[in-house]
Amino acid sequence: MTAKTDLHELSIAEAGRRLRSGTLTSMALTQHCLSRIAALDPLLHTFVLVTKERALADAEHADRELNTGIDKGPMHGIPYALKDIYATAGIRTTCHSRLLLDNVPKEDSVVEAKLKAGGAVLLGKLATHEFAIGGPSFDLPFPPARNPWHLDHFTGGSSSGSGAAVAAGLVRTAMGSDTGGSIRGPAFYCGTVGLKPTYGLVSRRGVFPLSYTLDHCGPLSWAVEDAALTLKVIAGHDPLDPASADIPVPDFTCGLGQDLAGLKLAYPRSFFAAQEGLVAEVVTSLDIAAEQIAKLGAHVEEVKLPDFELFNACGRVILTAEAYAIHEKNLLTRPLDYGRYTYQRMMVGATISAADLTQAFRLRRELSEIVNARVLGTFDAIITANGLAAAPRFDEFPTDVPPKMTLQTMPFNVTGNPSLAIPTGFSKSGLPLGMQIVGRPFAEPTVLRIGAAYEAAAGWINNRPSLKLSTAA
Amino acid sequence: MSEEQDAVLEREFDMLMAKAGADIPADRKAGVLAGYRDMKRMAALLRQPRSEAAEPSNIYCLTGFARSRQS
Repeated sequence: MTAKTDLHELSIAEAGRRLRSGTLTSMALTQHCLSRIAALDPLLHTFVLVTKERALADAEHADRELNTGIDKGPMHGIPYALKDIYATAGIRTTCHSRLLLDNVPKEDSVVEAKLKAGGAVLLGKLATHEFAIGGPSFDLPFPPARNPWHLDHFTGGSSSGSGAAVAAGLVRTAMGSDTGGSIRGPAFYCGTVGLKPTYGLVSRRGVFPLSYTLDHCGPLSWAVEDAALTLKVIAGHDPLDPASADIPVPDFTCGLGQDLAGLKLAYPRSFFAAQEGLVAEVVTSLDIAAEQIAKLGAHVEEVKLPDFELFNACGRVILTAEAYAIHEKNLLTRPLDYGRYTYQRMMVGATISAADLTQAFRLRRELSEIVNARVLGTFDAIITANGLAAAPRFDEFPTDVPPKMTLQTMPFNVTGNPSLAIPTGFSKSGLPLGMQIVGRPFAEPTVLRIGAAYEAAAGWINNRPSLKLSTAA
Repeated sequence: MSEEQDAVLEREFDMLMAKAGADIPADRKAGVLAGYRDMKRMAALLRQPRSEAAEPSNIYCLTGFARSRQS
């Protein structure tokens, strides 16, 4: 590994070791990331704002502290970036929307405050689908992020910039949010790891809400270990977030490096195998991944889950109702300030009745009980599909009506369980495929253990998109 | 859906939008209407056999509520 060109391939743990041994500086790491952003982002559009001065100041500060023996934890001196719905004090936070172009928060989101306190280096704010919904859109103040594996293809969303930036090696870990799959979708389409933690594990305070009871904050990272280390910094109880869980934060890295002996995994093949739009190579990829996980020592058994459409309907009704409630005033008074897809998706919320929403919450309890008591009462985790087909081309999306998405992610927003997205290979056209590993509430260490063991055995992490730098980086 | 069913759906939709006070830009109406059609299908799926004792999720937790009110 050469000193400069491969710095973006250093894991967070390895970079941390070098920073502490004095063989690497945060400044060098940060400048490397900034030069890659300068060279590649004109193609990728992953950043809506690069905070270069802040990043260099953060890096200089981190180097000074590390040199004097101050150690603020695993993200100290490590560059990161934030989806542009995370409030950053004194730094514009737009939600990728015309409505918030001049919004400069006075306070940091809790996640940003924790990363800052942990000595991490903020590179900038990342593209998102407007207000974390809609997309891909070409009628917003900033262009949509491009998929580094093929620039004509969709990144997934809504954490579009986070997925694309991590896949392109612009940053090792980036924050996303997930209300119906907005972390796991971009992870699937861009070939990264994406962790939607248990509802309540990471504070949502200061992150622009889409749906109060479905929103989750979590990282998109290149490797499972990177996600575990990021989570270590951002997890924990926040008394001012009404949904925050007041429980001890475990060591998320404790299971990394272990095999899977003794674990029982449920594989609900029928849950996704009959879905409309499912591509055969996705099923093949998942079957091979399930076999590989069994070879690592786990007992893998096919199980049945309730119909996907029940989970999806439950989640969509809740999401649309809550999003409409948040945006009602602006939707009614400033309709044309929203992008077309955003407006069209959110306005449907005006048609949902009180009885619809109550029935959705009743179904939510029933589905959560089935997943947690019936399935995860017996099994340690579930492995299932993430998307049904590789990333579509941008020109396949309709212009008049919002597209239907083929992600399988909503069920675990409905139930709140932790879910890790991880690559399982590539389509014939060279685009990433992946799966979800779903655990019991607050069992992130188990989910990460399974993900890390599979990641090491499968080796997909060794593949990067071949992007040509326009200047030396 | 037949043309007549489509027309009924659109009248129903127009009524709901009027009730909400929404003046939908003409070139965006087709997308919202398509979403309404899908939402009706999903809302029907929510009606599963269950007793009156089947409570919703997200029933209040007083300790959490009190905590956030104190802040």
